[in-house]
Amino acid sequence: MPNEDIDGIVERMLDGSEHSRRQFIRHLAAAGLLVGPGSAFLAACGGVKGEKASTQVSTTATHAKTSIGNWTFSNWPLYIDKSVLKSFDKKFGGHVKYVEDINDNFEFFGKVRQQLQADKPIGRDIVVLTDYMAARWVRDGYVTAIDKNNVPNAKNLVPELANIQYDPKRNFTLPWQSGAIGIGYDPRKTGRKLNSIQDFFDPKFKGRVSFLQEPYDSAGMVMLLQGVDATHANIDQINKAIDKIEQAQKAGQIRRFTGNDYTTDLTKGNLWVAMAYSGDIAGLQADNPNLEFVYPKEGSMIFTDNMMIPAKAAHPYAAETMMNYVYDPKVAAKLAAYIYYLSPVQGAEEIIQKTDPKLAANPLLFPTEEIRKGFHPYPTLSPADEREMEERMAQVTGA
Amino acid sequence: MLRLSLRRRRQLLPYLFLVPGLLWLIIFFLIPLLNQAYVSLQSGDSELGYSFTWNFSTYSDAISNYHEQFLRSLRFAGIATIIDLIIAFPLAYFIAFKAGRWRNFMLLLIVLPFFTSYLVRTVSWQLILSDNGWVVSRFRDVGLVSENGRLLATDTAVIAGIAYNFLPFMALPLYVSLEKIDRRLIEAATDLYASRVTAFRKVTLPLALPGIFAGSLLTFIPAVGDFINAALLGTPNQFMIGNVIQSKFLNILDYPAAAALSFMLMGVILVGIAIYARLLGTRSLTEAAAA
Repeated sequence: MPNEDIDGIVERMLDGSEHSRRQFIRHLAAAGLLVGPGSAFLAACGGVKGEKASTQVSTTATHAKTSIGNWTFSNWPLYIDKSVLKSFDKKFGGHVKYVEDINDNFEFFGKVRQQLQADKPIGRDIVVLTDYMAARWVRDGYVTAIDKNNVPNAKNLVPELANIQYDPKRNFTLPWQSGAIGIGYDPRKTGRKLNSIQDFFDPKFKGRVSFLQEPYDSAGMVMLLQGVDATHANIDQINKAIDKIEQAQKAGQIRRFTGNDYTTDLTKGNLWVAMAYSGDIAGLQADNPNLEFVYPKEGSMIFTDNMMIPAKAAHPYAAETMMNYVYDPKVAAKLAAYIYYLSPVQGAEEIIQKTDPKLAANPLLFPTEEIRKGFHPYPTLSPADEREMEERMAQVTGA
Repeated sequence: MLRLSLRRRRQLLPYLFLVPGLLWLIIFFLIPLLNQAYVSLQSGDSELGYSFTWNFSTYSDAISNYHEQFLRSLRFAGIATIIDLIIAFPLAYFIAFKAGRWRNFMLLLIVLPFFTSYLVRTVSWQLILSDNGWVVSRFRDVGLVSENGRLLATDTAVIAGIAYNFLPFMALPLYVSLEKIDRRLIEAATDLYASRVTAFRKVTLPLALPGIFAGSLLTFIPAVGDFINAALLGTPNQFMIGNVIQSKFLNILDYPAAAALSFMLMGVILVGIAIYARLLGTRSLTEAAAA
C-alpha cells in the first residue's frame, strides 16, 4: 500500500480493526502525508502537451449485453461492503477485481493522465471520483457514456442529484455516495452547542479548530457564511473566502488543515471544533458518543463521488451492470448501512427503517427534508479558476 | 568471450567491481536527476500536461513563494542537529569509554527504535504531546507551558520530533570515531601534565571531529528535507520545504515547481556542506567518509 495515508497505516498497525470501525477514510491523501512520489513523478516525465479534447465524446452509447468477464472497479478505501461484490459475482458471473487505489482525486489523476491523454485504456472499468474531478474527466472526454438501457435502476437516483452542472443529464456519471460538510465537535470542550459556521472563528476556540484542506470544502463553507451562493460562486468570491481563512490561520485560530485525519485529533481532544465530513463523524460516534456533528444553519457544502466508465474501458457492460446493481434499493441499503455517508438511492432509507430503525433515524445518514434544503453542491469552475483557487489555498495551508 | 591477458584482466577487475554500484547510481540517481532538471523547466498545467519550454521563471517563483519554508527547514534542521550533537556526544563518549561489557547492549538500545516504523514513532509523539496528555499537564504545573498553552502543533514539537528521529544518525558515527581513538594518546597527554579537560580538548575532540562531521551531515541532510514531523506534529506555520514539495508533486500536480524546489534544496545542501567542510578542514571530509 504505497500510497496510503499515515493514519490509515497506523490504525491498521495499532488495532487492525478497520472494518469494525466502519469509518470510511475519505480524502486520505489530502492529509498530505503520502510517501513515495514515484508514480506522480513518472507521470511528469512525458512532458507531452495534451490537446484539449475538442471533439466532445458521444453522449449516448449502446453496449451489447455480453458476459461479465474479469473486470476492474477502482474505488476509495473502505468505501464498500465487500459482500456486495461477492453477491454480484455470484449473480452475474465473471469476477470483479476491486481495487482501493483512489486516495486523492488529483493524485489518482496524476497516475492515469498520460494514458487518458494518449487515448489509451487505463485498465479500469469503473472509477469513483469527486465532482470537480468528474467534471474534469467529462470536460476532457476521458469518459465513456453510460448506456442507460443497461441501468434501468438509475431512475432511483434522488432528484436533487439528477441534474448537475458538468453533466446535466447524467450521461457519463452516476453518484456513488454523497457527503455533507459540517461541524464536528466535542460539546464538553466547547462548553456550548454549536450551530453556525461562525463558530469556527470564535476566538474562544483559538488553536483548537481545524479546516479542511480542500478549498471546495472550506472556501465553500466560508462563502455560505458570507451569504454567497457557493454553488454558483465566481473566483472573486472564492478568493475572498480564502482571504478570511488566511486571516484566521495567521491569527492562530486554525490549528491544522486536514483531509479526514482530523478524526484522530478530535477524539483525543486536541481539536475542539473540526470542519468535518458527515460520514466520518457518524462512524466515530460509535466509539465516542460525546462527539457531535451539526449541519450549520447557513447550510452545508455537499460533495458527490461519482461512478464513471473511463474512455476505452474494456468492459462497459459489466460496469453498467454493477451500476444498475448498486441502484437496487436493497443493495443500496446494505451499502448505506456500511458506509455511513449519504446514499443517492431512493428507497434505501425505507428498507433500513425496517431493518434498523435507529440507523434510519440518524440525520447523518438520512437528513431531514429541511436539512437537505441547505445542501449546496460544489461549484463547477473553469480550469483556470480551479487552478487559481487550488494555488491560493495551497499558499494558505503552507503547502 | 573476450580473451585478455592475465595482466590486463587484473587491471580491469577493480573497475568491474565498480559496475553494480555505478549502474545503480546511473539508473536510480543520475537519470532521475536529469529528468528532474528537464521537468523543472517545463510549463503548462496539470489538466493538459506540461511541455518543455526552458521556463526558468519556475525557479524564481519558487524562491519568492517559498523562501519562508526554505529558511524554516534550515533553521529546524540546524537546531535539531545541534540538539542531537549535545545529547549524542556524551552518550557516545560514555558507550565508547565507560560502558564496558554493556557497550553492545547500549548500542542495541540506540538502534532499537529503528525496529518500528518511522511513522509510528512520530505518531506516538502525537499521543505523548497531546494537549490533554500527562506531559503537557506536568509542564503546566511547572510553568513551562502556559495554562492554555500546548506543545503539539508548535515549533518545539516539530524540532523535538526531528531531533528524536535522527538521534541515532548522530550517535553512531560519533561512537565509531570515539571508539577508534587510541587511549594511549590520552594517557600520553595526561603524562605530559595536561589536565583531563585539556586532554579532552586537545586530543579527544579533534580526533572525534570526523564523527562530528559525519553525524551532523547524516542528521542535517535528511532533516532539512523531512516533512513527516512537520505534517504530524506541526501546523501550516511549521511546514517545511519537504511538505511543499510533496504536496506539489502529489496533490497539486505542479511537477515543474516541485522539481525546481527539489533542485534548489539540493543546491542549498551542497553549498552548506562545502562551507561546513571548509570550516572543519577538508581532511576531515575524507576521514568522515572513511568513518
